[in-house]
Amino acid sequence: MGEVIVITSGKGGVGKTTTTANIGTGLAAMGYKVALVDTDIGLRNLDVVLGLENRIVYDIVDVTSGNCRLKQALIKDKRLEGLHLLPAAQTKDKTAVNPDQMRQLCEDLKSDFDYVIIDCPAGIEQGFRNAIAGADKALVVTTPEVSAVRDADRIIGLLEAADLREPRLIINRIRPKMVRQGDMMSIEDIIDILAVDLLGVIPEDEMIVITTNRGEPVVNDRNTRAGQAYQNIVRRVAGEEVPMMNLDEESGFFKKLKKIIGLK
Amino acid sequence: MAYLKGNAQGDILSGFGQGSQADDNLIDENTILVQRNLRSGQSVRYSGNVVILGDVNPGAEVTATGNIIVMGALRGVVHAGANGDETAVVMALSLNPTQLRIANHITRPPDNETVELALPEIARIKDGVVTIEAFQTGGERQGKII
Repeated sequence: MGEVIVITSGKGGVGKTTTTANIGTGLAAMGYKVALVDTDIGLRNLDVVLGLENRIVYDIVDVTSGNCRLKQALIKDKRLEGLHLLPAAQTKDKTAVNPDQMRQLCEDLKSDFDYVIIDCPAGIEQGFRNAIAGADKALVVTTPEVSAVRDADRIIGLLEAADLREPRLIINRIRPKMVRQGDMMSIEDIIDILAVDLLGVIPEDEMIVITTNRGEPVVNDRNTRAGQAYQNIVRRVAGEEVPMMNLDEESGFFKKLKKIIGLK
Repeated sequence: MAYLKGNAQGDILSGFGQGSQADDNLIDENTILVQRNLRSGQSVRYSGNVVILGDVNPGAEVTATGNIIVMGALRGVVHAGANGDETAVVMALSLNPTQLRIANHITRPPDNETVELALPEIARIKDGVVTIEAFQTGGERQGKII
């Protein structure tokens, strides 16, 4: 029996889809059987981030309304054997699916997969309620901005009200240098307000843009900071104890250079 | 509201209070205890006193006709003495509200103040002005027993 994890944030653009793609890819690379579910009906993105857009025949609405079997709608990833995507419909809207249908869908997926990861749409309306309906656990993504943290707080409250207790937090796009200068909220500031467990921190990294546009999750690339950070998060999701990454570390070349010229 | 726990019942105290009639006006039974953090979008409204064992985050609201005591960080909006009781107080272990109202007085922190003080403070109306001071033990010295 698998585990259903919903990835949510409240605010848009903080990295839910990127996080879903990376955690899913990472877990599949560890050998788990993973299903990714895009519940952002009408604004689907997860298929694009995974580079699977052109393989979609059936979508989540076809499954819940009985137009096709679940197996027909699941798209196999082109790189990893164990990774599957259930895409959102693009031409319908959020009301095309209801929470009961989502619950049933999650039950069905759980029996076939080790991890079912749900990409939640932004907002707190029906799309959100659909996404969390069948979830066993929740991950909340936020960025070090007051607005994103405020929305994350609201979401954590709504998750608790829906009996999804103890959601874990992912802080995305942090810039250690700006935090040091006091220009950006620090990890401690955010934890202080949200009072939930921290699952991981992802530093701002240009590679995310590059890999996302290419349709290849960054988690595969161990040489990038964001890739390492996602790798750590994936292992924590799988139940391993992984120490927090030292964000202050500079990239290898400059560190060596500074050592050579005696700055450190 | 399902998350409100522990409503102080009158009969719990009745066994104790009988002997000392003079103390009766010092005992306010109409108080609820909220044992959780209040997050953005959540609110508590109560006719009486409210004690919160947790934080009140920005975007959360607490309204009470009596006093409000937050055993945690107060960062949201609070309204004590909502029916016009100017003797109502707001106390928090860390008092940094978005907005603080007592009776019909509305205050907000100064715009340039960004440091969160983590010491217990109490807000009350003194001479028609909302005054915030450090909370000291020994209720009588505060001028009002809470």
